[in-house]
Amino acid sequence: MSDTFGQRPANASETSMLKQLTSGSLPTLALIIALAFLPAMLGGSWTFTMGLCFANSIGVLAVSLLVRYGGEVSIGHTFFTALGAYSVGVLDAKYGLSLFASLPLALLLGVAFGVIFAWPSRNLSGIYLAVTTLALALAVPEIINNLGGITGGYEGLYVSTPIVSFLEMSMQRYYFALLMLVVATYLVARLRKSRQGMLLLLAKTHSAAADAFGTRRVWARISIMGISGGIGALCGATLAFSGSTVSPGGFTFSQAIFLLVGSVVGFYGLSLPRVLLGGAFVTLVPHLLSASGAWIPVFYGIALLSMILIGHHLPRIRKAMKLRKEAG
Amino acid sequence: MSAFLNTLARDLFPLVWSGMIVGCLYALGALGLVMIFKCSKVVNFSHGNVAGFTAFLVYGLSSGVLMSLSWGAATLLAMLCAVAIAFLIYSIISPLVFESDLTSTIATLGFGLITQGATLLIFGPDIVSLDLPIPRFAVSVLGLFVTGYDLTVLAVTVITIGALFFVIDFTKLGIAFRAISENPFAAEVCGLNLRSVHYFAWITAAILGVIGALLIVPTTFLSVTTVSTFMLQAFAAAVIGGFASLPGSLVGGVLIGVLMNLFAFYVSPEYSSTFLLGIILVALNIFPNGILEKVGGSRV
Repeated sequence: MSDTFGQRPANASETSMLKQLTSGSLPTLALIIALAFLPAMLGGSWTFTMGLCFANSIGVLAVSLLVRYGGEVSIGHTFFTALGAYSVGVLDAKYGLSLFASLPLALLLGVAFGVIFAWPSRNLSGIYLAVTTLALALAVPEIINNLGGITGGYEGLYVSTPIVSFLEMSMQRYYFALLMLVVATYLVARLRKSRQGMLLLLAKTHSAAADAFGTRRVWARISIMGISGGIGALCGATLAFSGSTVSPGGFTFSQAIFLLVGSVVGFYGLSLPRVLLGGAFVTLVPHLLSASGAWIPVFYGIALLSMILIGHHLPRIRKAMKLRKEAG
Repeated sequence: MSAFLNTLARDLFPLVWSGMIVGCLYALGALGLVMIFKCSKVVNFSHGNVAGFTAFLVYGLSSGVLMSLSWGAATLLAMLCAVAIAFLIYSIISPLVFESDLTSTIATLGFGLITQGATLLIFGPDIVSLDLPIPRFAVSVLGLFVTGYDLTVLAVTVITIGALFFVIDFTKLGIAFRAISENPFAAEVCGLNLRSVHYFAWITAAILGVIGALLIVPTTFLSVTTVSTFMLQAFAAAVIGGFASLPGSLVGGVLIGVLMNLFAFYVSPEYSSTFLLGIILVALNIFPNGILEKVGGSRV
């Protein structure tokens, strides 16, 4: 029944070998176990970076989910990550509450604002929605800076309340992010098998048929925005806890674009390895290129373009080669 | 009552006037976006970054950073460069354009990032100033303070848009452009080459972008993000105009310019992006097909 632990048919064709390797259940399980033992091998700063990497992977998952289930591109997901991050940051810094209180609040706010944003934009699609999310992304840093009394303005907030007392804080930051990533990807995999998930996909591909089954297109849009907003807020909450600080610099327009780039780099995949690839890209490229700042946008741009062009040209080249092989 | 009218005359009319001037520039930016969208169904997110890069190029070529040419020669060279960049971008994404408009739209984001990085690499993150070679004067007309800059912007906008509409309405190329925007399949059946018309739209848009960028920079300063920030207002203008209507984007540009100016003065200058988001959401709900279109039902 379940997707993550289900058996694949043994006679899978050669071409789907790669697909099976990246989305199969056993390798994913092995990957999770390997990641769980990773801090023992890595130094402190790399453990910290990997935590951020998991958090960003959740953001990539939120963007990819919207593409796959809604058919829409968002360049404004920093709005939702900022919501989640500031729920955690404000409750921690002002009231000393741990994630037990702030994580549910973050999820609630993320879903609520996803729905609130989806309602006025329910009839928009394609580029209209993309431009609207662009405006959303631009409004975020401005709102954060102007609500300095709550959000700490430019300086931001420091998150330091531990979840459990028996584990070192740096380990908590790492394992919390890993746990959230595993839970999120698992739930999304379950969504794919569930009735609701099928209906959402049907509403995307055959909206008239979905209408006949009682799923309105508007309802599908609002619910997928709600889910995606909730996952976005989860990403923000994880970023806040694992990154230990929340500041407006993490929620700029560029960051919103980078999440989309991460999603494209993972070919909009929703499985754990794919979103991890996207998240790693979003986190590690600035980390590794931090000495030469101007190269970061160039690198992102080239990566984005080459992934898109590969995705476009590779199937054609493969087909042409196959034809040539058959002819010769 | 008269006191109220006095303050109105003192504040409101100058605000509307300056909003209109900036709005003309938003309209120039929006026209470029709409030209591209109308025929190739791609939203060009690299528009602002490319225009900003060319503004830097004009600065670099005329100030002695790269060369010390006259302003006119530098502008001409920068325009050629903008045309070349537009040609290059369209050539790379043209296979995508005919497959998925959303994928090609994302691809333009990639070009935007590359251009932004290139600007940073060549010219550095410093802020520079770039002025127009125009006479400086200011006259007061009916309580309005009109400067040489205002008149230049108005004149350039009117001439540019007049020329554009002349080309689109009366030349063979313009008719091909309209035909392809209306029905690409039928146009292709009639023997029109979609790609060459797309090239025309992309190149025209690039030139409009350069003009808009050069006119906007004197009001502030030139940094890596100035022009791309300015282009976001152009996006809003295009959305209000319906994204597929050239006159609509003109009206949208002026409307955005005036509304943003009034909001910044009477409410708060700090929430202008949030206000812009509000305008877009409201406009898309009331006029889903643009401000100049009638709302019509669809038939199944």
